[in-house]
Amino acid sequence: MSILSHHHHHQAATIRHRHNHHNRRHDHRVYCAVTTQITTRPKPEPLVIKTTPLLTPPRADDPSLKSTWSHRAWVASGCGTVLASLASTVIGSYDSHIWLEPVLSGFIGYLFADLGSGVYHWGIDNYGDASTPVFGSQIDAFQGHHKWPWTITKRQFANNLHALARVITYTVLPIDLVFHDQPVVMGFVGMAGGCIMFSQQFHAWAHGTKSKLPAAVVALQEAGVLVSRSQHGAHHQQPYNNNYCIVSGVWNRFLDENKVFEALEMVLYFKLGLRPRSWSEPNSDWTEEVEESPGTYLP
Amino acid sequence: MASLAKALLLLLPSVLQSNRQPPHVNVVSFESNFLHGQNLSLSSSSSSSVTCLTKTSSLIICGKVNKGSVPPSFTLKDQDGKNVSLSKFKGKPVVVYFYPADETPGCTKQACAFRDSYEKFKKAGAQVVGISGDDAASHKAFAKKYRLPFTLLSDEGNKVRKEWGVPSDLFGTLPGRQTYVLDKNGVVQLIYNNQFQPEKHIDETLKLLQTL
Repeated sequence: MSILSHHHHHQAATIRHRHNHHNRRHDHRVYCAVTTQITTRPKPEPLVIKTTPLLTPPRADDPSLKSTWSHRAWVASGCGTVLASLASTVIGSYDSHIWLEPVLSGFIGYLFADLGSGVYHWGIDNYGDASTPVFGSQIDAFQGHHKWPWTITKRQFANNLHALARVITYTVLPIDLVFHDQPVVMGFVGMAGGCIMFSQQFHAWAHGTKSKLPAAVVALQEAGVLVSRSQHGAHHQQPYNNNYCIVSGVWNRFLDENKVFEALEMVLYFKLGLRPRSWSEPNSDWTEEVEESPGTYLP
Repeated sequence: MASLAKALLLLLPSVLQSNRQPPHVNVVSFESNFLHGQNLSLSSSSSSSVTCLTKTSSLIICGKVNKGSVPPSFTLKDQDGKNVSLSKFKGKPVVVYFYPADETPGCTKQACAFRDSYEKFKKAGAQVVGISGDDAASHKAFAKKYRLPFTLLSDEGNKVRKEWGVPSDLFGTLPGRQTYVLDKNGVVQLIYNNQFQPEKHIDETLKLLQTL
């Protein structure tokens, strides 16, 4: 895997691309009238638009990378709901004397999680910004990640996973309560929820170096069970428009070869006037800064 | 519903590899445009015209352009705001390529590919014209940014696109990417359609131009 080169910084005028997503949202477009984006593009905004929370990479001992008790609580609750699903599926399968269906549904849940991670990642990477409702902080975090990808390896476990754990708690808990006696459903939900929750850990491992990762993790990456370091490294290269899936990465080749995200981007552009970030030259907020210590993508 | 089911089936990879010729023109374009492109001049449609309903519900006949036919003439504004008619290009082969929009990745790749091979087109005695629904100002900026040496025309309202019967992609959400090669008499000799492999339009059109 090649070491990414240091990118030049773009003019402030390119920052307006991020804000155009909001400005264009109220354009009323019908399909026949192909967009006249260029004529309605707002004038370039002044140099100081807004300050991003972090202008320099967080140091390894930065408190923002450490786990708090709140983080740990959310991870615990997320794990609790996932384990409850998995326990329900095991008990239900035993009681019903079935095994193939729950195993299959679990496998489908694992595949679904990979696809879901890709779609979500694509959305967050390309649309919105820090001020977007609900997703703003995530979008900001992803932007920071693209600028300083190695910091994910410095995050403590609960700090890394707590946001996803919270989402999983909210979604899986009600499903557990309603479908607890259906092992096939529980198998799917348990695997999908678990893989989604732990996708950030898989993601962090994909940024690790072979020599520092546990042997079992390396083996799973090389077997294609977890997303590999090289595959995810390809996502961190311009124009940052491929290899979005971060659970196993099994969907990446299909999605990229069949230009699925490219098609979705075109549809969103023509229907809603939203221009994805990957279509523009990456600005300084996105282009990666070289890590002080080497070897982010060394196999 | 049947055509929707058919289109969904065509999403399966094994089916996408096939050379089936579905009867409905929209399904043909979905299968062909999405991945592999299709030379539509080889699979001629049986009907040469399609009835269309306008917004006011009056019936007009839209001519669908086929290989061997003479397409309806048009006069559109170019990137400098000047009126340009199709008849201006008679006497020489002309490549008319319809593309979705300026400043989108596929269209940029396509325009740059035409630009990079422009000498070959000139050597074959052919002219190149790009048409999209963007206005003259957009075309001017696009042509300037990428140093495009050929004409871009504004088909505002996509009138000409509809008259020529350029099929849409993805259930009508995307304007199709279709290229026509007209010989020096203005007769269509090739129709090539491919939404997601824009550079192939250059290869296919050059291949045909060598034979004209």
